[in-house]
Amino acid sequence: VYTLSDLRDFGRKRGWCPYFLARHMMSFANVVVYNYQYMIDPKVSQMVSRELEKECVVVFDEAHNIDNVCIEALSVNLRKQTLEAAGRNLGRLNNSIRKAREADAARLQAEYNRLVQGLVAQGALRGGEEWLANPALPEDVVRETVPGNIRRAEHFMGFLARFLAFLRDKMAAPTVTSQSPTAFLQELQQRVQVDAKTLKFCYDRLGSLLKTLEIANTDEYTPIQLVADFATLVGTYSKGFAIIMEPYDERLPQVPDPVLQLSCLDASLAMKPVFSKFQSVVITSGTLSPIDLYPRILNFNPVAIQSFQMTLTRDCLCPVIVTRGADQMPMSTKFEMRSDPGVMRNYGRLLVELAAVVPDGIVAFFVSYRYMDQIISKWHDMGILQEIMQHKLIFIETQDVVETTLALDNFRRACDSGRGAVFLSVARGKVAEGIDFDRHYGRAVVMFGVPYQYTLSRILRARLEYLRETFQIKEADYLAFDAVRQAAQCMGRVIRSKADYGMMIFADKRYQRHDKRDKLPQWITRHLREAHMNLSTDMMVHVAREFLRSMAQPYDRGAVGKSLLSEAALAALEAAGGLEGAGAAGA
Amino acid sequence: MAAAERRDDLGIEDGDDDDIDEHELRRQEEAYQRQYENEQTWDQLQEDEFGNLFVDKTAEQRERRKRLLSAAQSARIRKGMIRYLLLVIDLSRAASAQDLRPSRLGCMLSLCRSFVRKFFDQNPLSQLGIAVLRNGLVQQLSQLSGSPEAQVALLEPGKLGAASGDASLQNALDLSVSLLRPLPPYGTREVLLLFAALASCDPGSVLDSARSCRENNIRVSIVGVAAEVYVCRRITEDTGGSYGVALHEQHLQQLVMQHAAPPPATAAQARAELVRMGFPQRSTEDASSAVFVGSEARLAPGSYTCPRCRSRVPELPCACHTCGLTLISSPHLARSYHHLFPVPPYQEDSAEAATEASAVLGRRPAMQHEVEAGPTSGGPAAPYCFGCLREVAAPGQPGPLTLRCGGCRHVFCFECDAYVHEQLHNCPGCE
Repeated sequence: VYTLSDLRDFGRKRGWCPYFLARHMMSFANVVVYNYQYMIDPKVSQMVSRELEKECVVVFDEAHNIDNVCIEALSVNLRKQTLEAAGRNLGRLNNSIRKAREADAARLQAEYNRLVQGLVAQGALRGGEEWLANPALPEDVVRETVPGNIRRAEHFMGFLARFLAFLRDKMAAPTVTSQSPTAFLQELQQRVQVDAKTLKFCYDRLGSLLKTLEIANTDEYTPIQLVADFATLVGTYSKGFAIIMEPYDERLPQVPDPVLQLSCLDASLAMKPVFSKFQSVVITSGTLSPIDLYPRILNFNPVAIQSFQMTLTRDCLCPVIVTRGADQMPMSTKFEMRSDPGVMRNYGRLLVELAAVVPDGIVAFFVSYRYMDQIISKWHDMGILQEIMQHKLIFIETQDVVETTLALDNFRRACDSGRGAVFLSVARGKVAEGIDFDRHYGRAVVMFGVPYQYTLSRILRARLEYLRETFQIKEADYLAFDAVRQAAQCMGRVIRSKADYGMMIFADKRYQRHDKRDKLPQWITRHLREAHMNLSTDMMVHVAREFLRSMAQPYDRGAVGKSLLSEAALAALEAAGGLEGAGAAGA
Repeated sequence: MAAAERRDDLGIEDGDDDDIDEHELRRQEEAYQRQYENEQTWDQLQEDEFGNLFVDKTAEQRERRKRLLSAAQSARIRKGMIRYLLLVIDLSRAASAQDLRPSRLGCMLSLCRSFVRKFFDQNPLSQLGIAVLRNGLVQQLSQLSGSPEAQVALLEPGKLGAASGDASLQNALDLSVSLLRPLPPYGTREVLLLFAALASCDPGSVLDSARSCRENNIRVSIVGVAAEVYVCRRITEDTGGSYGVALHEQHLQQLVMQHAAPPPATAAQARAELVRMGFPQRSTEDASSAVFVGSEARLAPGSYTCPRCRSRVPELPCACHTCGLTLISSPHLARSYHHLFPVPPYQEDSAEAATEASAVLGRRPAMQHEVEAGPTSGGPAAPYCFGCLREVAAPGQPGPLTLRCGGCRHVFCFECDAYVHEQLHNCPGCE
C-alpha cells in the first residue's frame, strides 16, 4: 500500500509524476476508492473515470445525500465578482493569443486541426459502443462537429465576450427573475445572436484553448471556466434546470448582492450516465430511509431493495420522543411556537435535567444557526445556562471553522477529564456531517425540533415544484423526508460500535406523528418502544436513569456469537444447508 | 432584527395535531406505566398446598448461587490479609437525589455502617479510615485505625451535615496517596469510593493522580450510584480495582459488601515476608488495678500490655502507640484463616448423588443409627436439611435448590448453604 509520501518518493526515484502515475494506475487497479465527484461531476469524470470498463461494480457508500451531490455537481452560481474576473481573464487570454499568433502562427492552426481530427478519430475508434464522454454532451451530440464559428480562437473569444455582456445585463436587473433554460436561450438569441448549439461546446473549447496556449496556472482562469460551464449546461439541457437571478439576499434587502444561479432541479440527470454505463450500481447507507423514495428521485428501477438490521447483543440504543415539558405544555420548533418563551423554557429545562442525569458528553442539535442564537440568548436571560454549567461545561459550534475546531477539541478534553460537557450544534452544519461522538463523548444526543430546510429559498421551491410535476412527489412528503433524514444522520453520531451505548432524544411533538415516525430508519424504530413515544421531561429523566444504569453493567464481549461466527460455526451452518436449512431445522 | 419575525416556511408542512389518535396516546401512556411505574409486587405471591402464602424465590436463589460459585473459584488465589482501606464517601449535591430510598445519602450511609462492621469482622488485622467529598474538597473524618465502633459512630447523617457542592476525585486520590504511602508494604493499600456524582471538578488532571496511585500500589475501587463515568472506569482500570454501578438498593449493597472480602494480592505484594506481631496479655478487671491506658492516658481497669514495651493499650487489634508493634489476639488470626482455606462449594443434588450418599453414610459407624431410623438426611425418600432439619425437595423436583456437601455427603437447604459459605465458614457435617 502506497501512501501519498511513498508515491512521491517512488515518483522522484523513477522520474515520473506521482499524480499522473496514480491516474494511470487506475486502469490496472482492482479496487478504486474515491470521492463521489469523480464519478458524478461531468467535468471531472470525463478526465478520470472515462476508461473504467462496463463490468465494474460501482458502490456509493453513505449515499443518503446523493441527490444533493448530484444537484450540486450540475449547478453553477455566478456572482458579480465572478463576471468581472471573467472579463479580466478574457483580456489576458486575448493578449496571449495575440502573442502566440505573432510567435507561432502554426501552433494555433495545428490546434484547430487536432480538434477536428480528434473528434473524427474518436468517432471511428469507438465504433458503435457508447462511452462515457462529458455527460453534459449526450451521445448524439458527440458525433456532431464543432461549429465553425468558434473553431478559430479569436472568434471564440468574441463569442465569449458577447455572452459575458449578456450575463452582466441580466445581473443588473432590479427584481428577481426565474426562467427555464429555453426561455433564457431565446432571450440570448434575440439579444446577442448566440445560439444553443454553439454554447454546448464552450467548456471543451475553452479547455482545449488553455492547453494549447500552455497556460500553467489554470486556477487564475477559474472564473471564465465557470462561465463556460454555465454556458455548456444551459445549452445542453432543456428541462430539469432553472435560472434564477436574485438581486439581493432576502435576509438583507438593502445590500445589493446579485447572484445568477443555474440550479439543477433533477438529480437523475447526473446519475443517468452512471446507470447506463456500468453493469452494477449499488447505493448504500445507514440512514437511507424511506428507501422507496430514492429510486423515484433518481429515476431508476432498482433490481433489489434490501434493508438489513443491526445485530446487537444488548439494547444499546434508547430512542425516545419527548413531546411536552414538565408542565405538560407541548414543545416544538414549529414556526408559530418558536418564539414562545414557555417553549424555550421547557427546552431549557429538558437540557438541564439531562445534564444532571447523563454522565460525560451530551450533544444537542438545533434546526438552524438563527434559532440557536435566539434560544441561547433567551436561555442566558432565564439563567438556564448557569444551571447547566453547574453540571457540565458548554461548547457551541459557530460558522467559523477554526472556532468550531477549538470548541470540539476542548469538548473532548472536558469529557476525558471527567468534568463533562454539552456541545450545542446545528443540524445541517459541519459537525453533524462529519464528527463522531462515540463512547463517552456522546452518551446522549438531543434533536431540538425537526430540521426542515429553509423553505423560502427560491431554488428549493423550484425543486419542489419540479418534483411534484415530474415525479408526483408531494411537497410535504419530500420536506419531511429530508428533515427526518437529517435528524437520523445527527442521531447516528453517537453509536459507533457494539459496545457503545447512547440515548437519542427527539424533542418535538411532531415526531409522534406517523408521517415522521415512519420515515425514521429501521435501526432506530426497532428500539423505539411504545412506552417511549410520548414522554414529558420528568418521564424522560426516569427512563434515562434506568437505561444508563442497566448499560453500565458489565458487558460480556465474548457473547457476540449472534453476529460473529467462528470457523466451526460457519462450517456447521454450511452443513445444515445454509441459513434457510438451519432455520428450518431449528424451527 | 425586523419587528415581526419573518415566516421561513411555506406552511405546507405539518397539518394540525388533531390527527394524533386518542387511542394511541392512551396506549403509549399505559405502556410507559407498565414498564416504569409498576409496583404491583403482590403478583409475586403464591399459595402452596396448605394455603400458606409464599414467594417463589428460585430464580433469585440461582443468581445468588452463581455469585457464590464465582467467589469460590477465586479461592485458590493468594489474598492479602492485612488491608489498609480508605473509605471515601461522596457528599456532593448529587447525593441528595431521591432515586434511591430514602435518599442516596441515607442509603449510602447505612450501607457504609454495615460495611465497616463486616469489614472488621472479616479482616480483623486491617485498618480503615473514612473521608468525605464535599464542596470540591476532601475532608478526612478519621485516621486509619482498627476499631469499628468509633468509625461507625462518625457515619451518622446528623453528624455529617448536608450534602452540597461538587465532588473532586483528584483530591480524594491525592489524600489517599499521602495517607497510604508511608504504610508497610506487606499490607494491601486500597481505596473504596462511593461515587454519587456524574462529574469530577478537579484542580488538575485526575489521571495524573491515578498514575501516582498506581506507582504507590494503591488499588482504587469505585462503586457508582448514578451512572458509568468514564474517568472512574479509567482510574479503576489503571490501578487494578473494580468498578460497578448499582441498579437499585439491593444491588448497591451487594457491590459494596463485595469489597469486604480481601482482593487478590498483586505481584508486588506477593513476596512472602515475616511480620512481627505481638500477643498481649489482658490484665484483670478489678477496679483497684486501674492504670493509665493508651495514648490519651485515660484511667481504665481492663487493658492489654504490649509484650515489647510494656505500655498499656485499651483494645485489640491495634498498633501500640509507643513502639508501633501490631498487637492482635489469636481469634483474630483464626477469623482470617478462612480466606486462605475456604469451605468448598456444595454441589446441586441429583438422584445418583443421593443413592451414593446414603451408601457412604450408611458405612459410617456414627451415622448408622441415623440412616436406619426414620427420616434422615441421606435417604432419598424424604430428605431433611442437615443444618436446620427443614424439609427440602427431593432431587430433581422443581422448587428451592437442595445442595449436597462433597466431603460429608449431607444435604443442605439453600439458606444453610448461604449461611455456611458467607458467614460460618465451617461445614457442620465435616467438622
